[in-house]
Amino acid sequence: MRRVGGAHRGLDMWLMQRASALYMALFLVVFAGLLLAAGGLDYQSWRGLFRPLAMKVASLLFAAALLAHAWIGLREIFIDYLRVMAIRLPLLFLFGVLYLGCLVWAADILWSVP
Amino acid sequence: MKFRIYRYDPESGATPGMRDYDIDFDPKGRKVLDALIAIKDTQDESLAFRRSCREGVCGSDGVNVNGTNVLACITALEGLKEPIEIRPLPRLAVIRDLIVDMDQFYQHYRAVKPYLINLDPEPERERLQSPADRAELDGLWECIQCGCCTTSCPSFWWNPDRFLGPAALMQAYRFIADSRDQATDERLDHLEDPYRLFRCHGIMNCVEVCPKGLNPTRAIGKIKSLLVKRAS
Repeated sequence: MRRVGGAHRGLDMWLMQRASALYMALFLVVFAGLLLAAGGLDYQSWRGLFRPLAMKVASLLFAAALLAHAWIGLREIFIDYLRVMAIRLPLLFLFGVLYLGCLVWAADILWSVP
Repeated sequence: MKFRIYRYDPESGATPGMRDYDIDFDPKGRKVLDALIAIKDTQDESLAFRRSCREGVCGSDGVNVNGTNVLACITALEGLKEPIEIRPLPRLAVIRDLIVDMDQFYQHYRAVKPYLINLDPEPERERLQSPADRAELDGLWECIQCGCCTTSCPSFWWNPDRFLGPAALMQAYRFIADSRDQATDERLDHLEDPYRLFRCHGIMNCVEVCPKGLNPTRAIGKIKSLLVKRAS
């Protein structure tokens, strides 16, 4: 089987797009259920929702899935519309860094809940 | 009936554009191709378009009518909004009037090796298939290569030289799915590429316009499933 650099990226990216979408869909359903179960949406119950470690981890994974999904989508758009490598690659890198930053930030926000 | 038809004559040097035609024509039971032939016969013999079988079998008269890619010979005139706008298939170079250069399209078709690859010695009579294996090819072999699907696909518009397009991809799957073919791995290797296959985002324009009612998006999805199966 061929293993030239990048040749398999198409399949990997496509699968990752599907997998992240699946996780987000599942998370949102469960999250909506938890919201309904929590009753009112005041500050205390909202914080209570994010207190358990499992919720923090699941939410962080949701953020990771969302950002990965968004980055792959951006890559598709860039491949279609940005034909100049000298623009496309730096932009992909820039958004990669930006999204990784968002992930770290999300972790910080989630773990700031005692 | 009123028509607006795209005209381009490379020899005249005139700017390409739409020209209006008004012909006395009863649309009842007749097709777009009938009107094109009538215009050519009675009003403007310089109008150029491809046609051959005039019954949706040869796939040579793919055109864009009121914004949709169709075969002129099987598209009813009745119900079309006037003036009926007829343009060449999108994104392909125009040779003249409604005639487009299909080279790129055929190159992609050639690239998927649309023929049986089987290195076993040829049997006395024929390579047999079970009825179930043969049924796998239904909905794939009927493609007439008219180009309506591929030229309606934005992914082909943006990357016509690198994305194979729905028509070629469906023929790729037609031979991947064939129980007599022995080159499945090589075929999948060729397709496992960010451009050739994975520019398809499943928007299904191809399914909407296919004059034979085929479903290239489903075939492309099956190729993706096979790639996943092979990789895992």
